[in-house]
Amino acid sequence: MIFRIFEKKELKNLFEILAAHNKVVGPVEIGKDKQCNPIYAFTEVSDFNSIKLDYTTTKLPAKRYFLPFHEDLSTFRIKDNNWQKTIDYNADRPLIFFGLHPCDINALNKLDKVLLHSVFPMPYYVAKRKNMFIIGIDCVPQPFCFCRSMGSDTALHGFDMFITNLGTRYFVEILTDTAYNFLKNIKTEEPKEKDHILYMKSAAERNKKFTAKVDTTDLAKILDMEFQSDVWKQWGDKCLACGTCANVCPTCYCYGVEETVDINLKSARKTKMLHSCNLIDFAEVAGGHNFRPERHSRLKYRYYHKHRGFVEAFEESLCVGCGRCGESCLAGIKVPEVIASVRGGKKR
Amino acid sequence: MKAKESESKTYLGIPLYRPKVAFFEFSSCEGCQLQIINNENTLLDFLSLVEVVNFREAMTEKSDDYEIAFVEGSITRNDEAERLKKIRKNAKILVALGSCACFGGVNQLKNRFNNIEWVKKQVYGKHPIDTAPVRALEEVVNVDLRIYGCPIKKEEVEKIVLHVVLGKSIDIPKYPVCMECKANENICLFDLGEPCLGPITRAGCDSWCPNNNAGCWGCRGPAEDANVGYMKKIMKEKGFSEKTILERLDCFGGFAQFPELKKKGKH
Amino acid sequence: MKPELKFVDIISQQPKMQKRKNDLSSFEYTYRAEITSMYQLTDMETLYRIQIVNPEERRRFAFIPGQFLMLEIPGIGEAPFSISSSPSIHGEVELCIRKAGNLTNFLSKVGRGAIVGIRGPFGTGFPMEEMHGQNILLIAGGLGLVPLRSPIAYVQENRSHFREVNIVYGTKSPQHLLFTYQYDVWIKDDINLNIIVEKADPSWIGSVGMLTDTLMKILEGRDNEFYHNTYAIVCGPPVMFKFVCNMLNKFNIPMQKMFVSLERRMHCGMGKCCRCNVGSTYTCLKGPVFDYWTVMNLKEAI
Repeated sequence: MIFRIFEKKELKNLFEILAAHNKVVGPVEIGKDKQCNPIYAFTEVSDFNSIKLDYTTTKLPAKRYFLPFHEDLSTFRIKDNNWQKTIDYNADRPLIFFGLHPCDINALNKLDKVLLHSVFPMPYYVAKRKNMFIIGIDCVPQPFCFCRSMGSDTALHGFDMFITNLGTRYFVEILTDTAYNFLKNIKTEEPKEKDHILYMKSAAERNKKFTAKVDTTDLAKILDMEFQSDVWKQWGDKCLACGTCANVCPTCYCYGVEETVDINLKSARKTKMLHSCNLIDFAEVAGGHNFRPERHSRLKYRYYHKHRGFVEAFEESLCVGCGRCGESCLAGIKVPEVIASVRGGKKR
Repeated sequence: MKAKESESKTYLGIPLYRPKVAFFEFSSCEGCQLQIINNENTLLDFLSLVEVVNFREAMTEKSDDYEIAFVEGSITRNDEAERLKKIRKNAKILVALGSCACFGGVNQLKNRFNNIEWVKKQVYGKHPIDTAPVRALEEVVNVDLRIYGCPIKKEEVEKIVLHVVLGKSIDIPKYPVCMECKANENICLFDLGEPCLGPITRAGCDSWCPNNNAGCWGCRGPAEDANVGYMKKIMKEKGFSEKTILERLDCFGGFAQFPELKKKGKH
Repeated sequence: MKPELKFVDIISQQPKMQKRKNDLSSFEYTYRAEITSMYQLTDMETLYRIQIVNPEERRRFAFIPGQFLMLEIPGIGEAPFSISSSPSIHGEVELCIRKAGNLTNFLSKVGRGAIVGIRGPFGTGFPMEEMHGQNILLIAGGLGLVPLRSPIAYVQENRSHFREVNIVYGTKSPQHLLFTYQYDVWIKDDINLNIIVEKADPSWIGSVGMLTDTLMKILEGRDNEFYHNTYAIVCGPPVMFKFVCNMLNKFNIPMQKMFVSLERRMHCGMGKCCRCNVGSTYTCLKGPVFDYWTVMNLKEAI
C-alpha cells in the first residue's frame, strides 16, 4: 500500500483537473430538514465548492449510478411476426466518485460478490462498476451508524484512493496506479512518522464515536432458531410495506422484470425495476399464489436474506450498517433494535 | 377526433381486435377525460388501437354501440344511476375512470354529514337541486376495471388500453407511492415536516405530488395491504392533528373502508 | 499525462471461449426458437415443441432432466418452464404449458412457426447417472408429471441401467390426466404405471383414491434390499411431496435419495433477482431440484 500526504488546498486542484476531463459525482446539500439540518445527496458536480466533504450521510446511496431504479435490459424491434432484440448495458462513460464513505465502498464490495464474482455475473452492473473511479473519504460516525458491528467501518479495497482528514492536510491511501498517476498532478509528499502518529490518533478518535451496536454473534443460527418468534409479528404490525428500506439500502439489489409493448406496436422493451422484498407482491407467482402474504413474513425474509443467507453464501452479512433504512423508516424499524429483539426472544 | 379507419393492427403477427369505446361523465370536473385528449404525442397511436364512438368532450357524433365504456364521475342523483345502468347494459367492459368513479372522489366529502337537507341548504341556499348521498360507480353497477387518480395519469390509461387490446392482464401497482417517490429521489416530505399519505396510497402516479414538493393526498386509494392504522399513529407522533390526518384520508373516499375513518361530522 | 479515465468496454475484454456461467454476454442473450408444433393435452394444458433456429446453437443446447428454461415473447413477458422432454435431443424442447398469465395466454394465440426467445437451461437436475443400478419411484401429483416426463424419457432410453421402475401418478379426475397417449409405451418399456384419480367418471376403470394409497401398496412388504436401493423423484404441490416424502422416510429410504422440484417465480434464472428465494436459498441456482434433506432445512419451503 502506498501512502502520501498533501495540503488541503491541493484537493481542489485535484478535483478541477479530474473534472475537466471526466464526469464527477459527489455529495452535495440538496436542502434542509425541518430541524434545519442539511440533507445530502450524491449528484453530478462540476464545482468543487458544492461538494460537502464533511457530509454526515446521504438519504440515498449512490445506487442509481450502479443499480438504477429502472433500467432497460433489452429493447425489441417488432416487424410483422418477427422481432429483433438489442441488448445495451447502459454504461457509456467512466464516473469519478468524489468522497464515498467506507460503508458505501464496502457496500460495493458486497454487491461485487453476488453481481460480479459469482456465477452469471450481471453485465449491467459490471459495465458500470468497471467504470467507477472511487475516492473514499473518512467519516464522522453518526448515532445511527452501526458499521463497526458489521465490520464495514473501514474499507480495505474497492476504491482507488482514500483520503483521511488530518486537520490541515489529507492523508491518502493509494490502491491503483490510475490514482497514483492522477496524484502526480498535485503536490504530495511522503508521510513522515509524525503523520503516521497523527493518522492513528485520528482513527482512534473516530473509533470512540461509534455508539450504535449490533450483536452479530451466532446471528445466522439465531435467526434460524427464532424463525417462528412472535417478535417478527410485532415488527410486522408496524411495517408500512412501502419498500423504502430497500430503496435507501446501498446493498439491496433484488428486482423484478417487466415486458412492455410501446403504444405504436413497433417496439417493445424488457425493463428491470428494483423491487423490495417488503412489498406485497414480491413472492407472488403466476396464478396469484403469494408465498409471503403477511407483512411480518416479508420483513423477516429481508433480515433472513441480509443476515443469514448472504452469510451462508459469502461468509459476511449483506448489511454494511450505514443505518439509512432505520433513519428513513417512518415506522422507526431499525436494524439494531430488530436484531436485539430477535436475540432477546419475546420481550421487546 | 376520429382516427383513420385503417386496416386492423397486428402485434407479432397476431391480429388485434379494435374495440369500440365510449366515454361518459357523471358528477365530476371532467378533468380525467381532458387528460386523455391532452396526450398529444401518443394520441394518434392510442386512437388507432380503439374506435371512439362517444366522447362528448372531443366529438359530436354519438353511438350506443360500444364495448368498452370509460365512465368518469360519481353518482349523486337518481337519474344518473339510471343512465349508468343503461351504460352497463351496453358495455362489455365498464371502466371506472378516476377517483370520483372509483371511490366517489372529492364529491363524497358531503357524505360525512348526516343530514343531506342541511347540506343542500348550506350549498345551494335558495336554489335547491335534487341531490343524494354520493356513490361510487360500483355501488350502483358492476365495475370491471378501475383507473385510479385525481386526475388519472394518461400514461396509465394508455397502458391499460394497450393491455386490453393485447390480451395482457392489467397490473396496476399493488405497492405504495413511496416506492416511486424514492426512485425519483425526492426528499421525504416528513423530513420537511409535511404530512403525506405516500406510504399507504397505491402507486402508479409516479409520485406526481411529492415530485412537486406536495404531500400525497391519497387520491389513488389504498395500496394493497396498506397499514392505515399504524400510519395514522405515526402521523400523530410526528405532531399532525387528528383533523389534518382525517382531512387527507377523507378527501377522495379511497380509504372509506378503513375503521380508522368511521367518524362523521356533527351535522 | 492527461488525467482522463478510459472507458472500460467489458464486452471487448471478454475472452472468446467462455463457459456460459461466466460469460457476461450470455446474461441477457436469448436463443431465437421456433414453435414447431403444439398439441392440446387437456382443456387447460398444451404441449409446445420448440426448436432453436440456429443449427450451431441447437447443437450446443443440452440440458439434464429437471432443469428449466426461460421462455420469452417480446413485450408480452418472460417466465420459467420446466423442460418436459428427453435430454438426449439437443436444441429442441417440449414444454407443457397451462394458460395462467400474460405469456401463456399470448402463446395460446400464436401458431406453428412463431418465433419465441429462450434462455437457459438453468438450475439443478435430477442426478440420473447416480441412480444407475437402482430402483426408481417416479411420483407425480397433478401437473407434477410435467417435470417428471424428462426423467421418464431418460429411464426409457437407458432402461437397462435401472432395476424396478414405478410411476405413481395421481390427479383430481380422469380428464386431468396428461400424456395419456404415451402410457402404453411406458408400460412396454417395463415401467409399472400406477395411476389413481381422486374422483372417477363413469368411464374410469382404474383406481380411485389418494396417491399415497397406491404408493403404500408398492412399498409395503418389500425387503430392506429394496428400500436401501431405491431413488424417488417426487413432483407436485408442496403438501403432496411432504406427505409422500414422509411416507418414503418411514420405509427407510434415505432422504438424500428423494428428489423434489420446487416451483417458484424466477425473473432472472441466474441468482440475481431474488424473487425465487426460499428462505435465503436461490431456487434457480441451488434448485429447482433439491434432495429432501435440503428441503427439510429450508425455511418456508413446505
